[in-house]
Amino acid sequence: MRRLGYLLREALTNIRLNRTTTLVAVATTAFTLACFGVFLLLYLNLRGMVGSLQDDIKVIVYLQDNLTAQGVTALQHQIKAEPEVLSLTYLSKAQALADFHAQFPDESHLLEGLGENPLPASFVVTLVPKFRSSDAVQRWSDRLRSVPGVAQVQYSREWIENLAVVIGYLELAAVAVGTVLSAASVTIIANTIRLTVYARRDEIEIMRLIGATGAFIKTPYLLEGSVLGALGAGLALLLLKGGFELFIDQLGPTGRFLGIETGFRFFPAHISFLMVLAGLVLGFLGSFVSLFGFGKVRS
Amino acid sequence: MIQLFHVSKYYDRRPALSDMTLQIEKGEFVLLMGPSGAGKTTLLKLLFCAERPDEGQILVQGRNVARIKTSQVPALRRTMGFVFQDFKLLPKKSVFDNVALPLLVQGVSSFDTRRKVAEALKAVGIDHKKESRPTMLSAGEQQRVCIARAIVNGPLMLLADEPTGNMDPELAGEIMELFKTINARGTTVVIATHNRQVVEQVNRRVVTLVQGKLASDEGAGR
Repeated sequence: MRRLGYLLREALTNIRLNRTTTLVAVATTAFTLACFGVFLLLYLNLRGMVGSLQDDIKVIVYLQDNLTAQGVTALQHQIKAEPEVLSLTYLSKAQALADFHAQFPDESHLLEGLGENPLPASFVVTLVPKFRSSDAVQRWSDRLRSVPGVAQVQYSREWIENLAVVIGYLELAAVAVGTVLSAASVTIIANTIRLTVYARRDEIEIMRLIGATGAFIKTPYLLEGSVLGALGAGLALLLLKGGFELFIDQLGPTGRFLGIETGFRFFPAHISFLMVLAGLVLGFLGSFVSLFGFGKVRS
Repeated sequence: MIQLFHVSKYYDRRPALSDMTLQIEKGEFVLLMGPSGAGKTTLLKLLFCAERPDEGQILVQGRNVARIKTSQVPALRRTMGFVFQDFKLLPKKSVFDNVALPLLVQGVSSFDTRRKVAEALKAVGIDHKKESRPTMLSAGEQQRVCIARAIVNGPLMLLADEPTGNMDPELAGEIMELFKTINARGTTVVIATHNRQVVEQVNRRVVTLVQGKLASDEGAGR
């Protein structure tokens, strides 16, 4: 217990004695981790968005204009009975026109010259979750197209799938960038610890001569590296949070119009904790690298 | 306690020690005498495992230090005490903390540490300066702190490399008297020195080295 207290005190003394190098190491580690954090933030948000869009997928079944009211009811019953269908909403021609006017008030004049309402009636179908995969939706849509009374079937699956592909690439980029920046953090911390070790080489020599083991000598430096890494990660989180709030603020009205303002989320608590833990591990690794071969020296 | 069999050590193919055979018994007081470059420090380095011999075998407390594993070196060093010409004290720690360091490394309790450090500081006559920093002490006082650190854990042997270098004869005499007192308690003492005056004052066994070779061994058993 007394030895543990000594090792902790020594680690803190190292940090205090090398304030400038400590600050530089924490700042550069924070910057590299923040760069990685931006990628991670982007990746997690886009993945979340795709997830919610996939949950929200709707298939729109446009009906032929000549379909009678009885035909619409019969078709509604037929589609509702399908095992793939979770719910179904009927949108009449009049409702479609009203929706168009409501959503695009500035473009309302486009339909005025046409006289008759050109918009078709439709069913907006929500599928059962297990049938929301790309293949399942396509199979069901193809089958539905051949049903009498159905003019066209549309769904927004394709661009969602494309977005998923983009996210896949982003995931790869995040791994690559994360690896490079992690290596940079390890190098920065390793150099800082190397400087500390150099500054205290006389003390280390004395410790060796009085019979201190390699582990006893190394532990304060390993602790110091871990603390630097964790502090760097904490600072990176603060920078990211500040940048994130600024981004949301700047997004302002445009974001609200596009409906994406509320879609962005900062890291949840467990991811923030994992980032600090990652910083700690990187710091430990940095120290470990700088002390590699340390124990083999005899005096 | 210490046995060397045909030990040689080379630096850049030049022999620092050549075919050295020597035996030091438990409780002996031995002065390693010789000019600079004679191999005195090399011999001490071999004894506390800072170097390995290129040829020959060295037994220290029954262990062959020529073949000892690096991981076993700390345990062996804990049975020894070291005193250096440049003291090697930690300038930012108090006298008490400097002397307590070997005990801390060994995990000795706070209570025992306080008791043993007090005893060691009293033995070297510097217990009134335990709160001071080494930089505030004179050379003689710093050497006393260094000796206190070397004896605090009751070592079986004490190695000293030019412990009275840069000291006036009177101060050197006081330090040597301290070593004799420590030796009288049963600790084997090996001191490397080039100071003839010190050798005459101590009047113990003198092993003389010249250019890495054993030139003479006088007064064994004194």
